[in-house]
Amino acid sequence: MTEKVALVWPEIWLFITTCIVMVVGLSPDERVRKLCSWICGVGLVVAIGTAASGPVLGDPQASGLFPSLTPYAKALIGIVGLMLLPLLAGTVDRDLDAAIRAGKAKFDAIRTNRAEFYAFFLFSLTGLMLCASADDLIWLFLALELTSLPTYIMVTISTRGTRSQEAGVKYFFLGALGAAIFLYGFALLYGASGSTDLVEIAGAFRTQAANGGLNPIAIAGLAVSIIGLCFKIAAVPMHMYAADVYQGAASGVSAMLAFVPKAAGFLAIMMICGTVGWGHGGSDSALPTPIYILLWVVAAATMFTGNVLAIRQTSVKRMLAYSSIAHSGYMLVGIIAGPGTGDGTFWDNGLAAVLFYLLTYGVTNVGTFAVLASIQRVNPDGTTQEADEIDDIRGLHRTRPHLAGAMLLCVLSLLGLPPLLGFFGKVGLFTAAISAGEIPLVIVLGLNSAIAAFYYLRILRAAYLEAPDEDGPETRPAGIQPRVVAALLSAGSVVALLAIAQPLIANSVGAAQYVAPREGVAESASPIPDTVTSVETGLAPVEISRADD
Amino acid sequence: MTGITGTILETVLTTAFAVADPAAEAAGHAGAHGGGHGATSGGALMALIPLLPLFGAVLVGVFACFNEKSKLPAYATVGLLAVAFVLTLITYLGWNGHDPIQVRLWDWIGLEWGSGGVGQTLDAGFAFYFDGLSLLWMLFVTGLATLIGLYASEYMEHDAGLGYCRFFGAFNLFVFSMSCLVMGDNLLMLFLGWEGVGLCSYLLIGYYYKKKAAVDAGMKAFVVNRIGDLGLLIGTLLTFTTFGSLEFTELFATIGHGSTASGAPLDATWQVWAIPLLLMMGAFGKSAQLFFYVWLPDAMEGPTPVSALIHAATMVTAGVYLVARMMPLFVADTQLIALSVVTWGGAITAFWAATIAMAQYDIKRIMGYSTISQLGYMFFGLGVLATTGGVFHVFTHAFFKATLFLSCGAVMHGFAGQLDLRKLSGLWKVPGFKIVVIAMLIGCLNLAGFPFTAGYFSKDMILAEAWVTSDSTIWGSSWAGWLMLLTAGLTAYYTFRVFFRVFVGPVEYHPGDDLHDHADDAHGEDHAHDAGQHGDHHADHFHPHAPKWAINLVLVALAGGSVLAAGLYFVGDHHGWAGDMVHASSAHFDPAHIGDHSAAVAGVGDAVAGGESHAGDAHAGDTHAAHGTILGLDPHKYMYYISAIVGFVGIGVAFVLHFAGRTEAATSRADSLARAMEPVHTWAERKWYVDEFYHFIIVTPLKVISHLFHWFDKLVIDGIVELFGGVPKASSESLSPATQTGVLHDYALRMVAGVAVVLVVVAIVLY
Repeated sequence: MTEKVALVWPEIWLFITTCIVMVVGLSPDERVRKLCSWICGVGLVVAIGTAASGPVLGDPQASGLFPSLTPYAKALIGIVGLMLLPLLAGTVDRDLDAAIRAGKAKFDAIRTNRAEFYAFFLFSLTGLMLCASADDLIWLFLALELTSLPTYIMVTISTRGTRSQEAGVKYFFLGALGAAIFLYGFALLYGASGSTDLVEIAGAFRTQAANGGLNPIAIAGLAVSIIGLCFKIAAVPMHMYAADVYQGAASGVSAMLAFVPKAAGFLAIMMICGTVGWGHGGSDSALPTPIYILLWVVAAATMFTGNVLAIRQTSVKRMLAYSSIAHSGYMLVGIIAGPGTGDGTFWDNGLAAVLFYLLTYGVTNVGTFAVLASIQRVNPDGTTQEADEIDDIRGLHRTRPHLAGAMLLCVLSLLGLPPLLGFFGKVGLFTAAISAGEIPLVIVLGLNSAIAAFYYLRILRAAYLEAPDEDGPETRPAGIQPRVVAALLSAGSVVALLAIAQPLIANSVGAAQYVAPREGVAESASPIPDTVTSVETGLAPVEISRADD
Repeated sequence: MTGITGTILETVLTTAFAVADPAAEAAGHAGAHGGGHGATSGGALMALIPLLPLFGAVLVGVFACFNEKSKLPAYATVGLLAVAFVLTLITYLGWNGHDPIQVRLWDWIGLEWGSGGVGQTLDAGFAFYFDGLSLLWMLFVTGLATLIGLYASEYMEHDAGLGYCRFFGAFNLFVFSMSCLVMGDNLLMLFLGWEGVGLCSYLLIGYYYKKKAAVDAGMKAFVVNRIGDLGLLIGTLLTFTTFGSLEFTELFATIGHGSTASGAPLDATWQVWAIPLLLMMGAFGKSAQLFFYVWLPDAMEGPTPVSALIHAATMVTAGVYLVARMMPLFVADTQLIALSVVTWGGAITAFWAATIAMAQYDIKRIMGYSTISQLGYMFFGLGVLATTGGVFHVFTHAFFKATLFLSCGAVMHGFAGQLDLRKLSGLWKVPGFKIVVIAMLIGCLNLAGFPFTAGYFSKDMILAEAWVTSDSTIWGSSWAGWLMLLTAGLTAYYTFRVFFRVFVGPVEYHPGDDLHDHADDAHGEDHAHDAGQHGDHHADHFHPHAPKWAINLVLVALAGGSVLAAGLYFVGDHHGWAGDMVHASSAHFDPAHIGDHSAAVAGVGDAVAGGESHAGDAHAGDTHAAHGTILGLDPHKYMYYISAIVGFVGIGVAFVLHFAGRTEAATSRADSLARAMEPVHTWAERKWYVDEFYHFIIVTPLKVISHLFHWFDKLVIDGIVELFGGVPKASSESLSPATQTGVLHDYALRMVAGVAVVLVVVAIVLY
């Protein structure tokens, strides 16, 4: 038990911070309430610090299928969370604050919901971190739901319009449907293996595979679980909600939705696939054939659907939603490629590529939404709303060059243009898929990267080459400086993180070490096998020594 | 933090030392090559000659940044160029008179491939090579650039500000490039300078970039030059593959051995005639000779100081320099094929351009055609082995043609851009133009070859040699000589046609179209209207803008230089000062042994190595008995009389047709003569329709091809690209309405359907 507590210290810190935020948020003093976001920041920094010093492969506490996953995954979650924080500033209570400043209203402790908003944000991140440290199906399910449930509410309260309420309702019902599906899958997995512990399930599957093949119920359980988790990552056929929800929610919340549930979904899919392992198929280096085909079709369909539908959008948020779908498709390629059979470098480890891609996507994605969140459109009736249409960023280069510059860097990074951060994310997926022999999938990936250029460059064309629309609705800065900071921070990271790309990649390789369990694991014996002892990253050697039992 | 600072400091220091090293090396090289002739001290000064104008260009750029409105850029330019001239003079005075001086500033290109043997090492230093030839060139390049810079300070004053900075920036850059061209010690340095002067020429011709004619002229000059440059480039590459080096000293030594780098006898190779012909192509392009000359008349669209410096005195003589510099290669061919082509190319160009000049009315264009014609003389001189004469003519021509151009420029400056000789007359009597007219007269006398002028002596040296060199050595050299003699008469005619019509005779003038550039702006409309009429009443409105001190000073200096240049014919040991200079350079060879390969190249080898005094020289003065005659007379003695008579006839005809009895500016007795020979006159006036012909055989087909390619690109290539872009776009358009209903139960239904499909697929795969 104490070992498990040692694993979840970051989550514990975040939970404590959440409680503090909730209590402080009830203060009758307006100024005290405004401390909420700062407390969030402090909590996240502490969580990142604790996570970074977490156990790695070889430590006595490290166990499970991905024994050294947690430090990297939780630090990554904390860092992206820290970048999302300034972007979320001013999302709720803004109108009331403005009215109070203008003297039209008085501070009303009941009407403000800043505390809830930040608390839900931290709850969601806590759930996400718990996903990373999950070693049991029940834990995993609860963590996934802890990640998602607060976001339903955040979407709903993110703006005062009815569109966000509509989005919230859609998101909640479809999310519940998705959860039901993967919960059913989890139940089948339990039925096929007799255990909810991931390592024990893996052992049971290994035994079945060695003695005449996997139980069909196991395959069905895997398939249903994965298809249910597709909701979290917004992959075909569970992608429909994304565009409507992203558009309905405030930009900050959309940015969060593009990262947080997606990261949870990919961590869960990695673990579910890990139970059966990549030692099947004709070459003994792939997932079981039905699962392989399932993921292959989902990946290809997701890439094409996301990119093709993004082309025609006039709403930048919808465009980014579809592009987010496409990015999930890219990352599924890494899952299909698996941990690789080579010496475990970044170039043939698809899981490492996925983990690194999550980082690059998370960091870059914040910037694009932050630019939108920093601009307001003034409607003819005098009300304002967040920029959304592509016309709103027309000529941005002339009116607000720093925002246009941030957009430029982020969009080019999403496009995967060398030498920006996004390029290194994508290159890992390509090389892992090539070394796994997935040439058709690589071609699909390449084709889709080209199609993506179509709409990404459209954003840049509007921002840089076109003149501001004189007749259209007027745009003006939203006046929330933290959002501009978030945009610049994100754009800066796209370049600055290149300087430490090598250690980041080395860490993602270390985190992605998959430990295939031995046959027929009995009871809860030490799951750490003798097989993996040292790993070459290809960039910087990471020595991983096996602990003595 | 300290660590980072330390690293930066270290980097800076390392860079500083890396820069310092070549300097030390340069000193070492200078010492090694210069031997005990004081080259080391001179070397540092020599290196400054091109660097000063380069610094000037940067400095003027800085002025431009500060939007300097005064004449500071001009005076800074003139000051720096004057220092460069003085440095050249010091180098010349300190030179021992026969050994070349070499200075290596830094290693520029050092390549090695394969085994790194002969032909597999390319070592081109940023290095300078000074012998008689480059010194002679540098003396007049820096000298004239200084004077013309001073002239331009006044001439360009109406553009003070950014335009002024642009002008002097390019002016400085030109002098830098020209110095690299002339002083470079290998063909790559020469090529660098060659392209540099081409660029500056383009920039300065198109100086008035709002004027379409000027922009077109700049483009034409650049494009035509590119074609010639291709020849030079291929020639340079062939030189490298044949001789394994581009450095002059090594190159001439290899040629001196009469073999290629691989040891094959030179005579048996095709390169021995191909390389000179290719180099000649480059030279003809830059120097506006046959087939390539069309760009030079149009280049007169540039400001007049540019025409004087670049398109008359210096840049266009780069081709002559190239041929003179590479003379060892030209005479290495025992057949002398390339030199025969140079001879006839020069002769035909000289005659052709002179006929066009006779029928033009724009005085600056006449001078432009005259330049082409005179450059033809220089090539002809080189071709008939009168190297000294050719080089001397470059020198004298630089002075008197600059004088002529600047005088025309003073007229243009004073009469609001008027250049038509039918609209100007009797400037001698216009107040303030006396100096201009006298300078013009001196220039005209030189150009016409009036006895005892510098032009007379230099032209004689060339003409005489046409008969001295036998027809069997250079194919048909005496026939080309007759053509040149005729051209000399035509030259005298068209030169004095300008002088008699514009500078003397009844006073009459009509201002040009550039009135708005001048102070009396408000009356511009009136003048433009009046300009169409005749009569002296213009003097009431229009006041000619007499040149001020700078223009007058420069004209006096240049006219004086033109006169004094004649004296150079009488000094020195080898037929004048120019002879001495040529004698101590690679242009020197022993004519007695032309056709006898080994001895000829031995002479070259000696000259390059700074050899001892030689019996023969380019003028072949010591071997009277052996050479050919003109109608049985000794050309060396009788050419003085023959050419003088020809010149007098030309001037006389001009006097009768354009001065005697002329009462107004627009007409003269020549008009009836022109009518009598109508088709010829019109054809000559329209420049023999060469531009139209080129347009028809080169530009039109290219345009047709470019349209074809354009449509191919648009239909086929773009079509393929559009297909790739169109398929996703079309599918997006057909899919999105169906998929984005926004209705909750639609979405839920599809999710469930998706799950069902997936499960069915999995089940099928399983069983």
